[in-house]
Amino acid sequence: MRHLAKLLLVALALLPLALPTTAPAQQNLVVQAATEPPGLDLTATPASATAGVVFYNVQEALVKVDRHGKLVPWLAEKWHTSDNKNYTFFLKKGVRFQNGREMKAADVKFVFDRAMNPETKHPAVKQYEVIADIIVKDDYTITFALKTTNANFLLTMARQGSVIYPREAVDTLKSEPIGTGPYKVAEWVRGDRIVLAKNSDYHVKGLPKLDRVTYRFIPDPNAALAALKAGDVDATMFGLGPEHIPDLQKDPRFQVIVGETTNDVIMAMNNSKKPFTDVRVRRAVTYGINKPEVVKGAMFGFGRVLGTNVDPLNPYFVDMSGAMPYDPAKAKKLLAEAGYPNGFEAVLKVAPQYYYTVRTGEVLADQLQKVGVKIKIEQIEWGQWLSRVWKDADYDLTIIGHAEAWDVANYANPKYYFRYDSPEFQKIFQESEVTVDDKARRELYVKIQKKLVEDAPVVWLYIHPRLVVTKKGLQGLWKDLPAGAGVNDLSEVAWVK
Amino acid sequence: MRRYIARRVAAFVATLFFVSALVFVVVRVLPGDPALVIIGPEGSPEAAARLREALGLNRPILVQYTEWLTRAIRGDLGVSLQYDVPVGRLIVSRLPVTLPLTLMAAALMASTAIPLGLYAARRHRRAGDYVAMVVSQIGIAIPGFWAGLLLILLFSVHLGWVQSGGFAGWSSGVWPGVRSLLLPAIALGFFQMAVLVRATRSSVLDVLREDYVRTARAKGVSELSVLAKHTLRNALIPIVTVAGLQLGQLMAGAIILESVFALPGLGRLALGAITARDLPVVQGVTLFVASTIVLINFAVDLLYAVLDPRIRYE
Repeated sequence: MRHLAKLLLVALALLPLALPTTAPAQQNLVVQAATEPPGLDLTATPASATAGVVFYNVQEALVKVDRHGKLVPWLAEKWHTSDNKNYTFFLKKGVRFQNGREMKAADVKFVFDRAMNPETKHPAVKQYEVIADIIVKDDYTITFALKTTNANFLLTMARQGSVIYPREAVDTLKSEPIGTGPYKVAEWVRGDRIVLAKNSDYHVKGLPKLDRVTYRFIPDPNAALAALKAGDVDATMFGLGPEHIPDLQKDPRFQVIVGETTNDVIMAMNNSKKPFTDVRVRRAVTYGINKPEVVKGAMFGFGRVLGTNVDPLNPYFVDMSGAMPYDPAKAKKLLAEAGYPNGFEAVLKVAPQYYYTVRTGEVLADQLQKVGVKIKIEQIEWGQWLSRVWKDADYDLTIIGHAEAWDVANYANPKYYFRYDSPEFQKIFQESEVTVDDKARRELYVKIQKKLVEDAPVVWLYIHPRLVVTKKGLQGLWKDLPAGAGVNDLSEVAWVK
Repeated sequence: MRRYIARRVAAFVATLFFVSALVFVVVRVLPGDPALVIIGPEGSPEAAARLREALGLNRPILVQYTEWLTRAIRGDLGVSLQYDVPVGRLIVSRLPVTLPLTLMAAALMASTAIPLGLYAARRHRRAGDYVAMVVSQIGIAIPGFWAGLLLILLFSVHLGWVQSGGFAGWSSGVWPGVRSLLLPAIALGFFQMAVLVRATRSSVLDVLREDYVRTARAKGVSELSVLAKHTLRNALIPIVTVAGLQLGQLMAGAIILESVFALPGLGRLALGAITARDLPVVQGVTLFVASTIVLINFAVDLLYAVLDPRIRYE
């Protein structure tokens, strides 16, 4: 027994030999990321994990959605259109790719010709269908001739699929993307980390401010929290859940940024499946949900209650969060009118990979039970969710966050997994797509939002907040994410001296 | 012996063939489509369909399997769908994490469990035995991932002695590499150690009751010699059997712990590949792990003959 105690003492005495970890140099940043990108090619995957690393940091587009949500000229110095059909972009001179070569109009043409080619299998090829011709006027001037007017064209040019890269680097986009961004990919240790190094030739003077950015992939939220508290990572961008935030807000070592995103968390109802084919049932479900309580219960109070699919960062946002407030009596009345006086049973499919969906589901199940809707929660793995729910619409109810900006287009697609098929909505939406006058388009977007509330194809619950925790002294991070919930511009980020 | 080895090699090949066919079918029968996972809900179903075709997933399963098998025999395990890197290269790149981690956990397990088991048996029904059994009970009761988190909390967050996770890489030196694997190896080995303590204790207890042990003691042989020469060697067969099986379990346990400690090992590669439906990687890793486990069992079988001269394979 005494020997055993001695052995334990020796073992404990040896442990301090594990030397303390070194503090990070103040020109470097270590960021925790929960998901490793499935390849780094923005022209092959729309994954937000890829955008989070590559978009704005390594590769950029002609136009940029800035931190306030405004479209600003970026690799193009300016653009001009006289008829809303022919857009001429004047490229910024002296912009160099990370391989040292200057960006020219021929590169831009190559990028869009390739995106439009069905052989490329660009995930957003449809967005470019409106382009009829691309004419290179000179090395720094390029004109896009459109088939019809298109209100989203400039936005398309600012999207992650429209990044400009040199034609000679096309074969290595998936593992070593080259662009014009403030950082270049220095190293990708698969399964562990991606390291970005400063691009000294960056076309914006004085940027970037950091020498190195390391993304460490830590999928487990508890491990991410431990890494942050142990000082092994400087910031967590998407890794921590809202349950971790209140404690960290009280901790003087950290700063917490709570911002807006374009990530609309919804409970989708299968509009092609009974009883959700009946608009009264869908409205009843909406009235049966107390959204502020959902945010409180499932998100620890973080997140903004949402009324339609147009998010607050969208310039045409109208606050509809109070349009169908919690009213259980009305919900019961509507259910009775629809022929369900005793309510009904439904299965709610959620993917625990996005844990907020499970927690939200639990709160919703409790609330809806009070109006007679008995919900059975079925947790399925993400791959299955994509196949069964998203592709085959084999579901009653599901909860998920739609992270893409301007994704109201999904409601105009009757084949989308909501199976919402309203010719009237589709007509208003199509009109908004070709209306370039800002005032007229705004009116159409108001109509869009009202129509959605009226038809209640899904229940819009809340905006998933941006929850960033960093060590004190880090500045320059975007508070809100108007360019898409994963997009994370680190060019202006720096440590306070 | 030669015939025995030939038989084992034939069984090895048959096992691998069976495992590969089973995995191939199972990962394709599972709901979930690699193209959809790669494209994600931000993309369109049309884009996913185009990708599915490009990946060759539309072809009949038998055609896909035959093609994969022909290549695998030549040593080509295909290319990862998510990383666009040959699967063989990916597996090799993960071995410097998983192999030392498993070996460290195994060394920790054997070096603590066998002495502790011996000690407990020797002190049967006395305080030392009870303490050893309580330690072992705790080890069995605590899941590895939780032990891992507790270790991180104590040694990384509170004391700041070691990194909370991640792998420093062997290029930065042996000690930084070992240091990043220390906590996960302890967490991984603790449960298996607890099991092995019990196996050792009960096996040693059985042998201690044998007549020849009593005879040795009666002859005046020293207690150390009784334990080391007469008892342990005779008790080793069941211990080695359990330890061999545990080596396989350590590799399985690494899947969870590599995620908790954010280590870029084989387990995390497999887990990520299953989530991403990266079929070539899932197949490659499963085949590799299956081969390793079969080889370990083979080595254990051979070890029996070394430990016990009465066992012969002819």
